[in-house]
Amino acid sequence: MITLIYGGSGSGKSAFAEDYVLNTHIINRFYLATMMSSDEESKNRIQRHRKLRDGKGFVTLEHGTDIVNAITEIESISTGEFSTYSNDESIVLLECMSNLVANEMFADGRMCSAGECADKILTDIKKLNECVTRLVVVTNNIFEDGKSYDEGTKEYMRSLGKINLKLREMAHETYEVVVGIGIKI
Amino acid sequence: MILIIGGSYQGKTKYAYSAFPEARFLNQVHLFIKKRIEEGKTENEILAEIRAIVKDDEWVLIADDIGNGVVPIDLTERKWREACGRILIELAKDSKEVYRVILGIGQRIK
Repeated sequence: MITLIYGGSGSGKSAFAEDYVLNTHIINRFYLATMMSSDEESKNRIQRHRKLRDGKGFVTLEHGTDIVNAITEIESISTGEFSTYSNDESIVLLECMSNLVANEMFADGRMCSAGECADKILTDIKKLNECVTRLVVVTNNIFEDGKSYDEGTKEYMRSLGKINLKLREMAHETYEVVVGIGIKI
Repeated sequence: MILIIGGSYQGKTKYAYSAFPEARFLNQVHLFIKKRIEEGKTENEILAEIRAIVKDDEWVLIADDIGNGVVPIDLTERKWREACGRILIELAKDSKEVYRVILGIGQRIK
């Protein structure tokens, strides 16, 4: 079951998503981080997010691409193989789609098309969703600045846009977060 | 305190004046934040300054939501965008009412 959380930069969508996860009371909580630390700025961002999650009981998994690789880790922890308790239920907070799309799209130094990239990610999301009780996906609104961009950026925007629309169809709940307030849409 | 948020040219100011005619207004909060960021102020300093301004009387704060775009290439632009988001989240927490204005229509979200 998918929950989609949509919002702009600095909208408070992460904090909202974390609270949402905690409110499900599912014990096996996973944070699937898609941002790879490449420079000082992203390192600071990752640090800020870690601090935000501190004490909330998330197991952090890092996958910049190929998020299906998280499945075996999630299953082995949820079934108790690497944990003192065992509980069938698991919830994954994937943050965030915009980084995943960028990583997948520009992986291996070659650029794939918006459609290819969207299909690949959506296939991975479906597989991941089948293996967990709940999947919460944080995604970005990058679409309202009215600026025109180069073809590469536009292709990236198309891909993220396609994925967002499809995820909204797949999701049982969608929230838009504005100044930290979640609006159910 | 009341916060009014929305995209540019959505009729936020007009909405604010008609919905809260007795209030005092701090408009263009996003530009206020931008100016302070350019002066080298930190997020916390800017937030404290705004809180000091609006602590008495019935204030209405109006701000553009500037976070809904592609990550800017310019570092100061990125800092501004981030600071704007963070500060507005805190101001929304302080506010007893928050409205989001789209096409001149105010939607109460808090």
